[in-house]
Amino acid sequence: MKREFQAIVVGAGPAGSSAALTMARAGLDVALIERGTFPGEKNMFGGLLHRMTSIEEVFPDFWSRAPLERHIAKKGTTFMTGEASFNVQHETVNFDRTPYNGYTVFRPRFDRWLAEEAVSAGATLLNRSTVEDVVIRNGKIAGVTIAGRKGEISAPVIVAADGVLSFTAKKAGLRKPQFSPDQMAVGVKALFDMPKEVIDDRFGLVRNQGFANEYVGCTGGVRGGGFLYTNYDTISVGIVVHISSLRDSGKTPYDLLNDFLAQPQFTKLLRGGRLQEYSAHVIPEGGYAMIPELYGDGILVAGDAAALCNATGVNLEGINLASHSGILAARTIIDAHERKDFSRSTLKRYKERLDLSWVMQDLKGFKNAPKMLHIERIYNEYPELVCSMMEHIYRIDGTPKTSIPKLMLREAREKVGLKNVLSDLFTAWRAL
Amino acid sequence: MNIDEIFDYTSFTIDREPHIVLDKDVCAGCDQRGCVNCCPARCYTWSEAEGKMTFVHDGCLECGTCYVVCQRNAFSRWNYPRGGYGVAYRMT
Repeated sequence: MKREFQAIVVGAGPAGSSAALTMARAGLDVALIERGTFPGEKNMFGGLLHRMTSIEEVFPDFWSRAPLERHIAKKGTTFMTGEASFNVQHETVNFDRTPYNGYTVFRPRFDRWLAEEAVSAGATLLNRSTVEDVVIRNGKIAGVTIAGRKGEISAPVIVAADGVLSFTAKKAGLRKPQFSPDQMAVGVKALFDMPKEVIDDRFGLVRNQGFANEYVGCTGGVRGGGFLYTNYDTISVGIVVHISSLRDSGKTPYDLLNDFLAQPQFTKLLRGGRLQEYSAHVIPEGGYAMIPELYGDGILVAGDAAALCNATGVNLEGINLASHSGILAARTIIDAHERKDFSRSTLKRYKERLDLSWVMQDLKGFKNAPKMLHIERIYNEYPELVCSMMEHIYRIDGTPKTSIPKLMLREAREKVGLKNVLSDLFTAWRAL
Repeated sequence: MNIDEIFDYTSFTIDREPHIVLDKDVCAGCDQRGCVNCCPARCYTWSEAEGKMTFVHDGCLECGTCYVVCQRNAFSRWNYPRGGYGVAYRMT
């Protein structure tokens, strides 16, 4: 087996494969190292692939080429209590035509496809290879070793795209040895099968239209939320909860998931579906504040490994940021090869590129969002407030009606406290 | 979703050697034990009678929650399974 490359990418997820694809297309000899038996085998996410503009530059026919489930034409938010729910939905023809705004995908199919595109462009994919260590010689990264195999795979520069825990970045001294459970969330997901026609009828969809709905108030008071995404003939449902809040609650993620699935208005949506797969993963939700060192001598960090995840409470974006960061890392390495210099001073161009891109602009712009998402009241009191207010507005019971502004004030005072409402509004205003 | 039936839903290629190994003394002295309730695959069990933490790697989803929640660094080993082993998602 060949052991010397011009660059090594650790992890064939969206960040890594985007990086390998970009480098291979520029003629670099690049190794893409993946610990699964194929790329995507180890990867899970909620299910939403947001539009990837930088991949569309490579594949202008992305939506007819990539293995996608449905394009998202309809989005919704549900405020939920144990017995009630209030829905807000948005749908536009603009999201129902190309370029689509987002898709549902299966990672074992999508990630494999993207990695295979990198291979077609000339990258060498090494499956079943768990990186054990980073080889450092004379203070510079010189390659990696693979668990259970002798020798090393060498290159003058590597991209750590090995996911949220990034042991590659840790071994290179770029991330802190310990994570804060306050900055991390865990997502658990159940995938149910359901005939396409049933999904179409139940969620008001035609052709390949998809529906994405987020839920607040469905996590038993634990900070987090739920989701439902329609795939072609399956639906993905799950919850994402902050790990510190889950820990303190003493509850388990699968019990919380089951409670969500059993909520009367939600359980109807799953009728007839059979559970196909259960999965879980950690998500970096600390935003701008938790981004590690992004470069060192002979190393760049991309994707979840660099905590490039934008959880604003409205969108939860990660995969698009990952892919774009992978491409920017690749461009920096292409430049570095021209200069034959892989030192920090050349590779810092990666951070400059990221800072100028929408990736960092978004993360900076929403840097207060994590603080907002730590307001406990969002996950209990506010959904209660919304649902109870709507019930009062709709209810006919032979007593005189309260005016809506008066009702709003009364409910807000009772359920949350006016001072809290004002302070939370201020936090949300700053965050969004 | 019955967590006891995880092997009916999710595929695993189980290695003989566990990829995560606990320092039992650290676990015995821990009063938080967030790993027990936070692990989405219920791999951690605490026995109050024996004062002992048990980790079973068979159904581990390699999600990283225990690595994040444990603030005592109770792992004498926390690796991903070697190539080809561990959880194998089909359609998630």
